[in-house]
Amino acid sequence: MHHLREVGFYAGEHVVLVAVSLLIASAIALPLGVVTARNRRIGAPMLGLLGAIYTIPSLAVLALLVQYVGLGFWTAIVMLVIYAQFVLVRNIATGIRSVPAAQVEAAAGLGMTPLQRLIKVELRQAFPIMLGGVRIATVALIAIATLAAYVNAGGLGVMIFGGLEQDYVPKTIAGSVPAMLLALIADALFRLWERRATRSVYG
Amino acid sequence: MSTLNRKDAAILIGAALMLPQCGHRGNAIVVGSKNFTEEFIIAEIYAQALEHAGLRVVRKFDLGSTQIAMAALRRGDIDLYPEYTGTALIDVLHLPPMRDANALYQRVSREFERRYALRWLQPSPMNDSQGLATTQAIAKQYGLATLSKLSSLAPQLRLGAIPEFLSRADALPGLQKFYGGFRFKDVKTYDIGLKYRALLHGDADVVTAFTTDGALAANNLVVLKDDKHFWPEYHIAPVVRIDALKRAPEIAGILNRISPAIDDATARSMNYAVDVKKQDSADVAAAFLKGRTR
Amino acid sequence: MRFHDVTVRYPGAERDAVISASLDVAGGQFVVIVGPSGCGKSTLLRTVNRLVEPHSGRIFVDGRDNATLDATELRRHIGYVIQAVGLFAHMTVAQNIAVVPVLLGWAKPRIEERVDELLTLVHLEPNRYRSRYPRELSGGEAQRVGVARALAARPALLLMDEPFGAVDAIVRASLQKQMKQIAQGVDTTILFVTHDVDEGLKLADRLVIMSEGRIVQDGTPLQILTNPANEFVAQLLDAKDVVRRLQLLHVLDAMRSGTPSPDGEAIDSHATLRESLNMFLRGAQALRVLKDGATVGTLHFEDVQRVIEGQAA
Repeated sequence: MHHLREVGFYAGEHVVLVAVSLLIASAIALPLGVVTARNRRIGAPMLGLLGAIYTIPSLAVLALLVQYVGLGFWTAIVMLVIYAQFVLVRNIATGIRSVPAAQVEAAAGLGMTPLQRLIKVELRQAFPIMLGGVRIATVALIAIATLAAYVNAGGLGVMIFGGLEQDYVPKTIAGSVPAMLLALIADALFRLWERRATRSVYG
Repeated sequence: MSTLNRKDAAILIGAALMLPQCGHRGNAIVVGSKNFTEEFIIAEIYAQALEHAGLRVVRKFDLGSTQIAMAALRRGDIDLYPEYTGTALIDVLHLPPMRDANALYQRVSREFERRYALRWLQPSPMNDSQGLATTQAIAKQYGLATLSKLSSLAPQLRLGAIPEFLSRADALPGLQKFYGGFRFKDVKTYDIGLKYRALLHGDADVVTAFTTDGALAANNLVVLKDDKHFWPEYHIAPVVRIDALKRAPEIAGILNRISPAIDDATARSMNYAVDVKKQDSADVAAAFLKGRTR
Repeated sequence: MRFHDVTVRYPGAERDAVISASLDVAGGQFVVIVGPSGCGKSTLLRTVNRLVEPHSGRIFVDGRDNATLDATELRRHIGYVIQAVGLFAHMTVAQNIAVVPVLLGWAKPRIEERVDELLTLVHLEPNRYRSRYPRELSGGEAQRVGVARALAARPALLLMDEPFGAVDAIVRASLQKQMKQIAQGVDTTILFVTHDVDEGLKLADRLVIMSEGRIVQDGTPLQILTNPANEFVAQLLDAKDVVRRLQLLHVLDAMRSGTPSPDGEAIDSHATLRESLNMFLRGAQALRVLKDGATVGTLHFEDVQRVIEGQAA
């Protein structure tokens, strides 16, 4: 079954697409989330904008991106990073806001610098909620990453859409099943991690 | 600690994936295609013809839409791809349809050179127009042979369409304006590869079609006549970046020699081979080229 | 430390939160700032560790203008306890207490030793409480950890903002008693804010009354009780309530010499006159005054009356 190797190859591309975009998206979402949590005047319109982007049909976004970034791996990454922002930023902000104000005040009064407060107290306790956001974003990205095929960036979409176009159902299934499995596994793993993280903060 | 390792790994993997893309260019010609059978075949024909002539070719097929393909072409990620004259006029230039095929080609050619620095090489005789198809049985039952007839009978019939058809100016909205009527009893969308299935299974009475679809021949389907000439003709031609032609001027000669040989019958049979007989588009393209060099 | 003409202004507020407050606090004193809600006492407190910046005026800590010091360094050397405690939920009791020593870079063994020392000080058995999480503590236990945390780096100054307001009356009384003991055992200057006048009378070496942003009176509890500056203070402290005053006076001050009958009821010389009143009202006649086990005098009800009359003059 050399098809299995084919599936494995595309699944591998798919995982790389999702993993790389998740890491980059998280790095961007973190400062955005902190700002959103602290400042309601910036925060509310920011979330509104990100949510609006989320609803724009991805093909339109892709065509726009191709004009500026071209075809290939990085175009797909940019698209995935953009789409991940809404979920990630929202959960980071919610997580930070959920930390009791008394702890933040105590941290300040005891002599932590603003950065120490952020990292040692706020982010540390917001972590389970932030992780929930990463989980949701990951599952969403696994789905959206199928579109990478449209910009010559590989991934399971190549098999899924290829099978649809050629009216060759087994190929579509060969592409969809691994995608579903990836989503299920990612979801389960993140939930496990979330449970452990929640226990370490909330008992 | 573990975060550091994950990030490092990601950077390495990302870099590794970038590398193949870095090396690809050089003097290669990048041939693109949109994401359906006919495009695959014709793009493959262009690519193989160029390779036979000694040029290095990189393929970037399966681009998701006309917009994506055009964006890639304009940006230079691809050097050429097969495009239809009618699609270019209406969907890219956003100009109103033209009845005269020749004038249409001239217009498109001029505008593409002017606006995008892209050149249209010689078009092929095959006309892959949009159309609406139905089964022999339904055609007989309703006395359906033309689009005019269909426009008034629509409320009794169910339409199966690809998603693009419902929004493109040169599709349903345009038909409704031009012919009047065309309010179907029910409209469902299908992916390109599934619509004939819907027609044959009885889930739809009329489906959108391209007049060179292989399935038309295979299943003895009827294409309704565009009696008022709503649809312009869609002749396929290579659209090439002018700077690519400067780099490799022989492209024009090579492809212009091929294009006249692609007519309606050839297109349908090639589509049939891939869509119905499930042959590989690369093999079908190779067979075409071999048959040519007689 | 010293407040010099401090005014705090919040943008958009009708009046200034603190108006021209000046106060000299000697080292080691237990100063309680009392006043009704909104009088500015918490705001004034928080200008000391610069959680609030004054609009004008200066705050001197250890002789230095705190505006010229780095805020973060300043706070690491001033203890801070708040009503909601604010223990870090993801850290154990020991880790919570160790926060400032860790920030200051103490060595681990020194920190561990100090944590145990502090837990003992606040009457929480180290072996049982060291590894517990805040969620496993009662309200009273949590606040005791809060106090321990504030004292960890041996600050010269301790700020307490209505620290016992969130627990029930029984726990509060116990915490107040412990706080008084702790205060007597350390050199730390304590600034304690509360709206509970009785709490202030119980704990203070020095009492500061605030109203509507201004310091209205400051002195020892007895001074203020006997000479309220105005009607407001008199009302606030219920100055006419003689029994209240009795809890600030001790048997030692009122007793007379002489030997009472050996089978009379006994009272310690350090007990308050209020406690003696309890005993008299329950039927005791003359009380034997004891100091370190030896009889040093006797106390009659008339002695108590005499003291009160003397005060009222």
